[in-house]
Amino acid sequence: MKFFLEVWRQKNAQSQGGLVRYEVVGISPEMSILETLDVLNEQLLEKGEEPIAFDSDCREGICGMCSLVINGYPHGPEKASTSCELRMRHFQDGQTIIIEPFRAKAFPIVRDLVVDRSAFDRVMAAGGFVSVNTGNAPDANCVLVPKDVADKAMDAAACIGCGACVAACPNAAAMLFVAAKISHLALMPQGAPERDARVLNMRAQMDKEGFGHCANEYACEAACPKEIKVSNIARLNREFLRAVVCSDK
Amino acid sequence: MSFLSRFYSSSLGRKFFVAGAGLSLCGFLVLHLSGNLLIFKGPGVFNHFAKTLDSNPFILPLELVLAGFFLLHIVIGLIVRYHNYQARPIGYAKYSVKGGRTWGSRTMTLTALIVLAFLIIHLKDFRFGDRSQGVYDLVVSCLKNPYYAIFYIIAMISLSLHLSHGFQSAFQTFGLNHPKYTPAVKKLGYLFAAVIGLGFASIPLWIMLGKIK
Ligand code: HEM
Ligand code: FES
Repeated sequence: MKFFLEVWRQKNAQSQGGLVRYEVVGISPEMSILETLDVLNEQLLEKGEEPIAFDSDCREGICGMCSLVINGYPHGPEKASTSCELRMRHFQDGQTIIIEPFRAKAFPIVRDLVVDRSAFDRVMAAGGFVSVNTGNAPDANCVLVPKDVADKAMDAAACIGCGACVAACPNAAAMLFVAAKISHLALMPQGAPERDARVLNMRAQMDKEGFGHCANEYACEAACPKEIKVSNIARLNREFLRAVVCSDK
Repeated sequence: MSFLSRFYSSSLGRKFFVAGAGLSLCGFLVLHLSGNLLIFKGPGVFNHFAKTLDSNPFILPLELVLAGFFLLHIVIGLIVRYHNYQARPIGYAKYSVKGGRTWGSRTMTLTALIVLAFLIIHLKDFRFGDRSQGVYDLVVSCLKNPYYAIFYIIAMISLSLHLSHGFQSAFQTFGLNHPKYTPAVKKLGYLFAAVIGLGFASIPLWIMLGKIK
């Protein structure tokens, strides 16, 4: 297959970027969009040009490193898939594909398609954890968790922290990410001791990083490769209200 | 006070203010509409109703509370939108995500500004206008001007769009989202937006059609 890729090129955080059009040939339908970029990069290297910088690690949809906005969709137009899982058979031969980085003030561009998502790490460090005693594993079932609650926590824990929710949000808000992390821990008994401090501190760090406010448009839910639901955002709002109204903090 | 200012200084807290004031304003719209529709009963009933309201000593304090809700909603709502605008300094060459985006949700800032413009003109002409000939005559003489009537109708369409997203959005902001009732809340929001929009717009429409003189 043959494609025209319009790719965002930018030397570094300070420089001005722009879309550059490339033609890439010899692509097979089962290749992913990342492999297509690999092929293009080899062609660029042969010509003595700078290859395109982009993030990836596992290339099987579990690490959340890949971060492309493909034809206006974070991770591409397919439902519940990451960029690395997006196969070229979903495009037509000869199609033009626009590839841009995730865009948000809180995710500054490092180079080309690579953005700095350490804002998420700082939000996690502010409270996205539970403190536990190390040592022997506790007895199974000594802490009871109802099945439906465990399922909800598990669904929230599926978040891989890729940042597609921020990229998709018209306001570059990080609410779906923070809501997933808050929900995952707030639903479980193990999360209870740090419950109030967690939501207050993670919220504060989220604001400090410069993410926008949620306007409840749910673009995040549509873009999320792990299908995290916006009902988690409602839970985040409840947790916040609860901490503000009921706790001593 | 430090509690309130801390609450306000958080992104989530600000949205609670916008949503709380917004839902309160929805309540006000119901009362306002029920009064307005008396115009179909003729000048006698309508003017009598307006006079009764004016002679009630509790109206002024209530109006001040209402003005407070409007100011809270408008000022914080626009501050929120300004922050959101700043959160993405460089936009996409192509943006295609739809998700739950609707005509109402996409146009929140635009409809807000149209309703704000309407609100200012509306207060100047009707609340602070010359009511000596009776409010009925004042309303009919203003809305006889087709430009005025069309502006009025456009503003009501904007309000309706604003509410079509705003009503259900406020529930989510308060953390009220569950498959048990969220579909019903959404439907109720659309119904509310339609009733409010059609209800208010019916008056300039009837005057334009010459059915109210
Ligand atoms: C009677 C008139 C109005 C009513 C009943 C109303 C109601 C609402 C409601 C219920 C919301 C949803 C809050 C949420 O998302 O949680 C909302 C959002 C909003 N309103 Fe209004 N509104 C009115 C007039 C205005 C005016 C005049 C302005 C500003 C000029 C305004 C600006 C906004 C903005 C900017 C938002 C979106 C906030 C956000 O989600 O980012 N509204 N409105
Ligand atoms: S590279 Fe790991 S999720 Fe795409």
